[in-house]
Amino acid sequence: MLPAADVLRRRRRDARPMTDDPVIETSGLTKRYGEATLAVDDLALRVRRGEVYGFLGPNGAGKTTTLRMLLGLVRPTSGAAAVLGAPPGDPAGLARIGAMVETPGFYPYLSGRDNLRVLAGHAGVSRDRVETVLHDVGLTSRAGDRAAAYSLGMRQRLGVAAALLKDPELLVLDEPTNGLDPAGMAEMRAFIAGLGDRGVTVLLSSHLMPEVEQVSDRVGVIRDGVLIAEGTVDELRGRARLRVLAHPADEAARIVAALPGVAGVDRDGDALDVAADGTQAAAINAALVRAGIAVSELVPRRASLEDVFLQLTGGGAAA
Amino acid sequence: MRASIGAELLVLRKRAATWILLGIWTLLAVFFAYVIPYALDPGEDPGGLADLLPSALAGTLAVGFPFFGGVFALMLGVFAVGSDFGWDTLKSRLTQGPGRLHVFAAKLAALGIVLVPYVLAVFVAGAVASLVIAGIEGAPADLPPAWLLVRAMAAGWLVLAAWAALGVLLGTLTRGTSLAIGVGILYALVVEGLVGALAASVGVLEPVGEVLLRADGYSLATALGASVADVGSNGPGSYSGPLGGTAQAVGLLVASVAAFAGLAALLLRRRDVV
Repeated sequence: MLPAADVLRRRRRDARPMTDDPVIETSGLTKRYGEATLAVDDLALRVRRGEVYGFLGPNGAGKTTTLRMLLGLVRPTSGAAAVLGAPPGDPAGLARIGAMVETPGFYPYLSGRDNLRVLAGHAGVSRDRVETVLHDVGLTSRAGDRAAAYSLGMRQRLGVAAALLKDPELLVLDEPTNGLDPAGMAEMRAFIAGLGDRGVTVLLSSHLMPEVEQVSDRVGVIRDGVLIAEGTVDELRGRARLRVLAHPADEAARIVAALPGVAGVDRDGDALDVAADGTQAAAINAALVRAGIAVSELVPRRASLEDVFLQLTGGGAAA
Repeated sequence: MRASIGAELLVLRKRAATWILLGIWTLLAVFFAYVIPYALDPGEDPGGLADLLPSALAGTLAVGFPFFGGVFALMLGVFAVGSDFGWDTLKSRLTQGPGRLHVFAAKLAALGIVLVPYVLAVFVAGAVASLVIAGIEGAPADLPPAWLLVRAMAAGWLVLAAWAALGVLLGTLTRGTSLAIGVGILYALVVEGLVGALAASVGVLEPVGEVLLRADGYSLATALGASVADVGSNGPGSYSGPLGGTAQAVGLLVASVAAFAGLAALLLRRRDVV
């Protein structure tokens, strides 16, 4: 049996209208602050149209600097980038991008609605759209309150609303669930997954592994400004395995290794570490029982994205 | 661009500081132009009462713009731009699509529009004060001709615009408000005051003195009827340096607006927004 999150992720991914057409493509993207600080080093990133791309890395890894470069807020020291076919910061490209980078900035004395109206004026979108996005993020009832009175979670929602104003083709979100309560986080995850289902490409930077694991089609891991791993969540987590505790173990290993769908069997102390996914569990159990071998434990085992992340980054805290 | 200007006007219009500065500036302008001179018994000075009557409105009020009004406009300019760095609202705006210079131009245009009530409020309050004085003294209550009032208000706006543009430059340069206001006031008091005073006595500094905002503002004020004596006794904003002609003053003020705004635009365009 596959865990529910895996099933949901696969179902969503299969339903998404993804293409190989790159929405974001960088090559040799480098940002150096002064002589001493190399924030991003020779980054080659490729985000495909329609996918949700999770961008992971420890504190100071260069994620936010990368996002800023992609939005034209920060100029790269060297290298090239194209976002929706335009150079970063190009008004034609930005008109099709929604973004929330770090803590969203708002005028504290203006209401949430007026803050969005200011941004809508610059984005060239109608005031009706302001009401739509306020509704989408569940802020309609508090839209008339001053932004200074908003909780961190409400500010995040307002930031996401601002990012959605232009009904963008590409959404760049930096820690969108920061400050949200568990219910709000679940709601935001569903919201991001829904955007992906509608064909919106999402570049999601987050420090929450379950969040990235549940909504992302592909994940990139950055450390010290270098992209050290990239692939689908399944690819990064590696093959699924089963832990089988049966006696006698040697005889059990011989029987299991001969079954179709089993790529290999290793001994893990008294247990067997079987290279097979959860769908083979019933067949393995049946074969062992038929052979008169008592099975006392049979559980699917798979590295979580967090395990992989910690292994790749040497245990640094993600952010 | 119209929508962007509307957006920037909303930001300025709903900010309490915009109206607090306008209120204080209007009160100070009337206080120094009418209340204090009248309280000091202008009857002993025949020219003193004439300055307080409605017919002298243009010149009397114009004297307040080059320094007192200028400092308030400078603060408004700093707030308009510097706060965007502190609140991170520049980043939010720039990710919405318009180019940096588009956003900057919209902000400047909105600032220019907001300066209009800064001029109108002072002239309305000044007219009321002068009419009250004329009523008390039983003096003629004739206002200056409309063309003169329009010229005076246009001159006042230009002087405020130059100072506001300096505020915009300082706000952009320091990416904040506190340091920019500190440096701006220091410039207004020390640099403009000191160089202006020295320019009157040191010949080599005379050309420098003529390009100062205060010199250009007072040149316009005297052209509108203010006396050189009033300019020289205008408290901390007094000026006794060289005065130029109207055309030169207007040209230098326009050039100042262009130079300050252009430099700020260049900084905004080239720098990273972090």
